[in-house]
Amino acid sequence: MDGRAFVLGMEVVGAGLALIAGIGPGIGQGFCGGKAVEAIGRQPEAGGVITRTMLIGDAVAESTGIYALVFALIVMFTNPFASKL
Amino acid sequence: MNLLSNLDAVEAVTTVAEAAGESGGLSVEGPLVVAEFTIFGFDFVITESITVQWVVLIGLGLLFFVLGRNLKTNPDSKRQALAEMVVGMFCGLVNDTMGKKYSKYTPYMAALFFWSLGLSLSCLLGFRPPTSDFSVVFAWGMITFILIHRNRFKTGGLGGGLKSFTEPIFIMTPMNLLSELITPVSQSLRHFGNILAGLVIGGIVYWALEIFIKVPILIPVPFSLYFDIFSAVIQAFVFMTLTMVYVAMADCGPEEAE
Repeated sequence: MDGRAFVLGMEVVGAGLALIAGIGPGIGQGFCGGKAVEAIGRQPEAGGVITRTMLIGDAVAESTGIYALVFALIVMFTNPFASKL
Repeated sequence: MNLLSNLDAVEAVTTVAEAAGESGGLSVEGPLVVAEFTIFGFDFVITESITVQWVVLIGLGLLFFVLGRNLKTNPDSKRQALAEMVVGMFCGLVNDTMGKKYSKYTPYMAALFFWSLGLSLSCLLGFRPPTSDFSVVFAWGMITFILIHRNRFKTGGLGGGLKSFTEPIFIMTPMNLLSELITPVSQSLRHFGNILAGLVIGGIVYWALEIFIKVPILIPVPFSLYFDIFSAVIQAFVFMTLTMVYVAMADCGPEEAE
């Protein structure tokens, strides 16, 4: 097995491992949605504001997942390490 | 500077057109370069992102020209009712989120929302959405950055603005500076990442369907509904709301009674 093929394969493995970061935002957004449902159940008339706030919270919680995604895409499609060989 | 070189790397994602292409596999293409020219030693590159923005600009311009034309004090057309509803919605949103004194930001926020929405939805017409090009979204992030600090120094003066970096205690200054610098990057990366993820997943779905079923109909519809339409609306809304929240948060003038 030549070095370039090994590094290419490892880059794809790395991209896959990077997406483990998706667990965090998943839990966070689930928590956020659950709490929003509780809040709307308690105070249905504030539903609009709660939904809006929930979406903002979701978006902010998503950041780390998006960073992981961007990293994985960089590693998969620009091959920064294999191109150095 | 490290930050800038990282940005270059991110931009490379959108401009590189290489994957396991040799084996007929999946490939993610960057925006096409339409024209290249040099003026006074500066290289200008006109990409697909820019030409699609022109198309969307003309489309949105016509739409809003038609909506805002020939308004009456006693509205008798559905067109004017729709226009008033949209304007009223954005006025209410800005007043609720930023407070009454920031109502002059309403036109910018509404423009940002519709611009982002229009660009993201342009993929439904078969264009490559310009918002999946990091340069486009980062420009909006920089506008937000400028608005934040303009508001900070306008409300607090030079002294108050500088002092607000040392809140809550002096030791936090480096952290505050770092978080100010990272704000436009994280805000625009979020938008860019969501739209690009939709693009890549759409590409993967079509690629896989072509291999396994040969006729890619109906199955991509839910993916497109979620990643193209839902995601575009949410990201436009989130980008606008975060801009409002950041700008209003930078206010370091005296507290006013609600």
